Amino acid sequence: MIKSLIIISFLSFSLVPNVNSAEGGPCKDYGDCDQFKPDLNNMASLQRGVGTFMKYCYSCHSLKYSRWGRVANDLQIPEDIFFEYLVPDQNAGPFDLMVAPIHELEIDNAPPDLTLVARKRTSSWVYTYLRAFYDDSSTTYGSNNLVYPGVNMPNILAPIQGNQKLGCKEVPVLAKNGGEKRDEFGNTITEEKCGYLKHQDGSGLLNVEEFDEFIYDLTNFLTYVGEPSRAERERMGVYAIIFFIIFTFLSALLYREYQKDYH
Amino acid sequence: MVTKVLNWINYRLPIINTFERHLSKHPVPKKVNFWYLFGALASIVLILQIVTGIWLMMPYSNTEEGAFASIEYIMRDVDYGWIIRYMHTTGASMFFAIVYLHMFRGLLYGSYKKPKELVWIFGCTIYLVMMAEGFLGYVLPYGQMSYWGAQVIISLFGAIPYIGESLEIWVRGDYYISGITISRFFALHVVALPLILIALVFLHLVALHEVGAGNPEGVDIEEYIDDDGVPLDSVPFFPYKVLSAMPAIGVFGLVFCVIMFFFPEGGGYFLELANFEEANPLVTPEHIAPVWYYSPFYTMLRAVPDPLGGLIVMAAAVAILFVVPWLDRSNVASIRYKGILSKIAIVLFTVSFVTLGYLGTVTVTETGKIMSVICTLMYFAFFLLMPIYTSIEKTYEVPDRL
Repeated sequence: MIKSLIIISFLSFSLVPNVNSAEGGPCKDYGDCDQFKPDLNNMASLQRGVGTFMKYCYSCHSLKYSRWGRVANDLQIPEDIFFEYLVPDQNAGPFDLMVAPIHELEIDNAPPDLTLVARKRTSSWVYTYLRAFYDDSSTTYGSNNLVYPGVNMPNILAPIQGNQKLGCKEVPVLAKNGGEKRDEFGNTITEEKCGYLKHQDGSGLLNVEEFDEFIYDLTNFLTYVGEPSRAERERMGVYAIIFFIIFTFLSALLYREYQKDYH
Repeated sequence: MVTKVLNWINYRLPIINTFERHLSKHPVPKKVNFWYLFGALASIVLILQIVTGIWLMMPYSNTEEGAFASIEYIMRDVDYGWIIRYMHTTGASMFFAIVYLHMFRGLLYGSYKKPKELVWIFGCTIYLVMMAEGFLGYVLPYGQMSYWGAQVIISLFGAIPYIGESLEIWVRGDYYISGITISRFFALHVVALPLILIALVFLHLVALHEVGAGNPEGVDIEEYIDDDGVPLDSVPFFPYKVLSAMPAIGVFGLVFCVIMFFFPEGGGYFLELANFEEANPLVTPEHIAPVWYYSPFYTMLRAVPDPLGGLIVMAAAVAILFVVPWLDRSNVASIRYKGILSKIAIVLFTVSFVTLGYLGTVTVTETGKIMSVICTLMYFAFFLLMPIYTSIEKTYEVPDRL
């Protein structure tokens, strides 16, 4: 019975809206995720990112597959400085895993581990999610998120970002072919649509651009920690490709030479 | 001195004769095209999979608690572990890509025609074992997709009447997927199936060398031989064929490296994103899709509403490949000299197979459902109507020489 149910549910995933379909994309109510382009060779950005992570995220989220020493080393932070200023646990050593104190308690429904969040959900998702919180008095924490509606996480960065509310704005009406509709005078026809983020200027420590950069660094760090060998991989890849181009070229010449024997 | 040693050994073990027979003097058709390179590439990837597999096995932990973490351990803490793992994951996808092209070559140029029936059958068996090998390997990282993919595939056994339920428990070794399932899948993936695979590849090659390699013209090169019995239209395997494979290996290495170093996830097709989360029996992923190389068959499974019917259709789709040598009644082997019906049939077959593959990776829509039924019918029509269209069509005359 259970087997048939599993098979039927598997076969009927068709009925569930596709995560990648137009209306229910990975960034949900936000629409398309904002594109994030990591810069894993930008040490300053990664160092700021790990600082932000340790200050604001680590009290609830672990990076349990990653080790302190590797991060310090990869991000070119001297170990003594790293352990003195960034690692709260006095007993932690370079070979210890980055497990947050909350996860040592083994409580149910603990906040998720974030080591692989950027790989599982993509960096663009993380970048968009962290900037899509808004005030919502109907929830436990008084905030909600457009990318992850009903998320069970408080808007921990609110003092930095400032207030963000849902608002409405005039958007162009689109014709069936995707172009903007215009009236007979050539003016774009607009309609009021709601569900957009509206930021209250001056309500946070940082302005919108500065906050975007702040989240960029954090997302950049989470991208790094998802796959710490990525920068090295891309560096090595260039050499491997050059090798195979030369190999192909030389072996093609050799092949042509030998082919003369039987043509 | 070297000759002396070689002669001493050769007297007791025919190394020189074997080397000459199967490599240095083995005659191969002198004129073939790029379709004939995929066999060599497949054997290279097989070796790559075995070598990287052995190294992955060393740090991997085949336990429920340790499997997922040990993969991350390989990716982070093992020196160059990431490169070994990506070689193995990219290699798996590349292995299937190559084998699909290799099999398509067989259909194009009639590589199953008498006397090559056994070569074809060993090949089909290799493909069948590869499918099992790929599935077992996918479960080992024990991510969300590993778990739920295994859940779905194992429950397919449950659709078999009478013995289904017991069979399912027997396969899993437990009432649900657990550490026992992982460790037995591990044993099968790293020992049992590779042994079978190597034995089958050996048989595939021995049978091939017995009857001789084919060519795109479908000409029998054995008809015209010189005084020593060597076909006139052949060249020795070494160095000529080895050299012709080298540029192909170079291009393949290039493609392989571009994927492995720059797109190891293959846009979620080679490594599915949901598999970056540890298996959780309580949470079903939003969208379960098989890895790309199973997706044509998965679409066929979905095209039939009844689980047992779907299973039968899916199994039949693979099984029908085995009898192709007896379905093709044409008096020529190569598509070049076959009639228009065969040409139309193979085009429709290719379109249906690619469409089935695409449909398996996306969620089903109403149009998609109809398309999958049409394409499944087209897939089977290609084989089932083969005895008819190959015998009624007018074929062209095959030249004597290559």
